[in-house]
Amino acid sequence: MIETGIPKLDGYLHGGIPEGNSLVYYAYPGVDGGVFGMQTIFHAVSGGRCGAYIASSTDPRMIRDQFMEFGWDMGESVFADRFTIVDAFSGLIGADSQERYVVPEPDNINSLTQCIKQVMEEMPEPGIIVFESLSTVMDLCGEKETLDAVLEWNKYAMLYDHVMVYNFTAWPYSEETLLQVKGDACNSVVSVGGISEKVIFGWYFGLLKLDWAEMIRKWVLFKILKPGGVRIYIPKILVTGPFDAGKSTVVHALSNRAVSVDRLGTTIALDHGHIDHNGFAADVFGTPGQERFDPIVKLLSGEAMGVFLVLDSANATGFARGVRMLEITESFGLPVVVIANKQDLPEALAPEEIKTRLDIPESVPILPAVAADSEGVFEAFETLVEMVMGVN
Amino acid sequence: MVYNLGISRLDELIGGIKGGTNIMMIGPPMSGKDDITNSIAYHGLIDGNATVIVSTREPGKNVLDWFESRNLNILMEHIGIVDCVTRTLGFGAPETENIKMASSPVDLTGIGVKISQFFEHFWMEVQLRETRLCINSLSTILMYSNLQTVFRFLHVFTGRIKAANALGVYVIEDGMHDEKTIVTLKQLFDGMIEIREGEDGYQMRVVGLTPKPTQWFDYEIDGVNIILRG
Repeated sequence: MIETGIPKLDGYLHGGIPEGNSLVYYAYPGVDGGVFGMQTIFHAVSGGRCGAYIASSTDPRMIRDQFMEFGWDMGESVFADRFTIVDAFSGLIGADSQERYVVPEPDNINSLTQCIKQVMEEMPEPGIIVFESLSTVMDLCGEKETLDAVLEWNKYAMLYDHVMVYNFTAWPYSEETLLQVKGDACNSVVSVGGISEKVIFGWYFGLLKLDWAEMIRKWVLFKILKPGGVRIYIPKILVTGPFDAGKSTVVHALSNRAVSVDRLGTTIALDHGHIDHNGFAADVFGTPGQERFDPIVKLLSGEAMGVFLVLDSANATGFARGVRMLEITESFGLPVVVIANKQDLPEALAPEEIKTRLDIPESVPILPAVAADSEGVFEAFETLVEMVMGVN
Repeated sequence: MVYNLGISRLDELIGGIKGGTNIMMIGPPMSGKDDITNSIAYHGLIDGNATVIVSTREPGKNVLDWFESRNLNILMEHIGIVDCVTRTLGFGAPETENIKMASSPVDLTGIGVKISQFFEHFWMEVQLRETRLCINSLSTILMYSNLQTVFRFLHVFTGRIKAANALGVYVIEDGMHDEKTIVTLKQLFDGMIEIREGEDGYQMRVVGLTPKPTQWFDYEIDGVNIILRG
């Protein structure tokens, strides 16, 4: 198996891409699907695999810079023997190339095929071959010619147990071409799309096809971070709970950056933070806890995808108010994780004890935390993310 | 949602260009199309529009300099430039707030991604609802990609202009392409700014945005303004 390194995707692929198989990242125009292929080859090469990157629309001198923008140093000496760029670009603009593998006529599919086969033969062990842009190849060489070549390359890769990965932009090609790219051309297809109204304002991915295992039909929102690459994105996680339970502390403990609208340390409007943790990105919104701010709490809760209920483990009198806040925020039905905060206080109740005193469904996890010391908050975040992904 | 070109006589004749309109600007080399395009972008900025310029012939910094060097009273944060040149030349210039880098004029996928990123930025973060997209020029893109490929690209992005109620201006060199290319591309546009060489210089007219083509006007470029005569 060769893992893609894309958060959640390897799980959906049942561990990664098996040797000898192929995958296409099928991106809609205007959506940055190219980073998926880059992240996949970086993950494979940094994990000890051999990799070749077929540059069809970028000067190879710029390719390594593009990887660096994401924090992936493909120029590292340890990668020198394992990472190759196949230059299928310079020939187009009549430029010289310093690369070991150069396609002399990038607009001739036979010229490309010859070079790719040579790369496959000379790769010292089963590795991964990633196409920067199959659509550019298609534009240069023709739709049918390229699709025939893809079938040929995939067969050839099977002989050497290489994995083939294609970035493809779904420009309005013929319906037959698009169906074939999504259908028979490869063993698996990952759709990379955009949520659009007037403009594209959100991105998602999910499996369209998988022929080596049962297909998991889930769609996941993502963001692209520089550095970082593809991150699963949860646009809104609500942090609510009674007054002085430590909601702002949780938001700040979780976040790479956060702001609070408060007065004398008490949140009077909201806390907002952005989390980037373990392949996941999320925006968190903390509510005030005092009853007089309940109208704001309701406003803040709209369109949340998951909820943290923060409780002061040493103050059981606030538990009922906590449950009431879940009602105000209309959070029942959404994934909820209770953070049993202030576990370092001597009178703090254990999560099991808190569970017996809370009128909430049995399935809601209650996790211990000391947010002031950042203890337990990321475990709670990972639990909530898994629940959000499960619902999705 | 109505846009003006900032060329007063033409704007009066057209009576405002409705949102979602795509215009081809076609004219001979050296007729000032770069300045006319930048002038249309500039007047958009004056009107509070966001402007995205795809530059396939000049490095993005040069385009930005055009605006900065004229000490114009505009918000520079409302300009986005997709630079298709710098990285083709092998320079590893970093992206800035105003300039995003496409790999090359061949990289239509990358150009499309950068346009979309600017559109999202201006719409969602800056909250600007009126946007102009200027592609200068399609001729360079056509040098590297075939007509069918460029048609597919434009088919998608002229559609996005319509969806966003934006204004699209696409520059093309007259005399550089065959008749079939021009006729094919014309299908995608709602109107044209035509430029030709006259007796005393260059002339322009607008076709398709008024019931009948406007008359030909001699014009001169005066800083950021295009002044029509006749």
